[in-house]
Amino acid sequence: MPVIIEGTNIAKKFNRKTLFRDISFSLSAGQSLAITGRNGSGKSTLLRIVAGITSPSSGSMTYALNGAALERYNFFSHIGFISPVMNVYEELTGLENLRFVGGKKDDDAHLAILDRFELRGHENKAVRLYSSGMKQRLKLACCFLNDPPVLLLDEPGMNLDRKGRDIIYSYLDSVRENRIIIIATNENEEAALCRGRIDFDQ
Amino acid sequence: MISDVLRQLKKDFLVEFRSRAAVNTALAFAGIITLSISLAAGGTPFSTLVQAVFLWIILFFSAMNGLLHIFTREEEEQTSLFLSLNVPAEAVYLAKLVFNIAFFLVIEMVTCPLFIFFLQVTVKDIILFVMTVLSGGLALASAVTMLAAMTARAGGKGSLFTVISFPVVLPVIWVSIGATVESLQGSSGDAWNSVVFLLAFSGAVTAISFLLFRYVWYDE
Repeated sequence: MPVIIEGTNIAKKFNRKTLFRDISFSLSAGQSLAITGRNGSGKSTLLRIVAGITSPSSGSMTYALNGAALERYNFFSHIGFISPVMNVYEELTGLENLRFVGGKKDDDAHLAILDRFELRGHENKAVRLYSSGMKQRLKLACCFLNDPPVLLLDEPGMNLDRKGRDIIYSYLDSVRENRIIIIATNENEEAALCRGRIDFDQ
Repeated sequence: MISDVLRQLKKDFLVEFRSRAAVNTALAFAGIITLSISLAAGGTPFSTLVQAVFLWIILFFSAMNGLLHIFTREEEEQTSLFLSLNVPAEAVYLAKLVFNIAFFLVIEMVTCPLFIFFLQVTVKDIILFVMTVLSGGLALASAVTMLAAMTARAGGKGSLFTVISFPVVLPVIWVSIGATVESLQGSSGDAWNSVVFLLAFSGAVTAISFLLFRYVWYDE
């Protein structure tokens, strides 16, 4: 599924303060980008702009799938997004959250991804009873469930132990050839997974 | 679209059923205020106008917190982004609207019998009374669903919601009180026109809200 994301002269201001400006990039399937920088430099904001969740103050984002331009809201169904400020439903079980994301997918697919993230055995437990690491694993499972062609990951390794991080890295390695991957992170290990980089500290 | 609405409705009912945060508060409020009015009145009979005003004040204030809660919960628990990415805005609106209508219906089903029993109300035209309560509830739920979304997205709480809702729901409450008075007196006269107005109001507000919801829901 050929997918292209282009950002042109993206800038973001909050009140009168310019967070960043003149950010341009073009990514197609198989390419990846790390967004790094100190706290408050705008990594998460840029990722939200790329996802179409937040509008830039100036500049533009364009999205294309199979040669056809897409409106940003129609692009949502083609991205897998994870962020520290986005939660799954804590009153639902892990399996119910995956059913909510998966739509018409059958439970075999849900159980398979739970298996991959080593959450089998916890699928019928309310998410509010999960540890923070288990919640992060479930968020990643929801993010990857529908095999989206674009993966936008904001601090994907947060709260994860070594094994949890290895699961993500091996997943990203297995899909990188036909996906766009953008990771906003402070961790060098995560940034090294990507071939390109925007560093807000430079 | 329909499958998206059903998927989200199932999620909303499951979350509410397990937490019971909104419905318990609303029912407790309705019960306490009805009982308080009854005790304060001490058996003094009210005019039909006062009875109708009490009914709609109880329904309105019992439901307001719960009607807002369906959106503020998404913001407070930081799930609104998760919802936005997985369900189209129009489906979000329709599912929240259906939930709010069902929620208001539950409040009415509990409040009306309490109101009739404790305030010793005699309803002379039962069909008109039921239709007025149902259509008034539908109009209120339709009107405040969009306002609840605006309030939640603005990071507002209940006080802001009640203030911005007031001018929108005033005609609904006004007409509902008038029709309720007629149903209590048994002089249906023009009251059926009021029911038609309430249903038309619901349809118009729902159509406009459906078209505009994405501009409220998404961060522009």
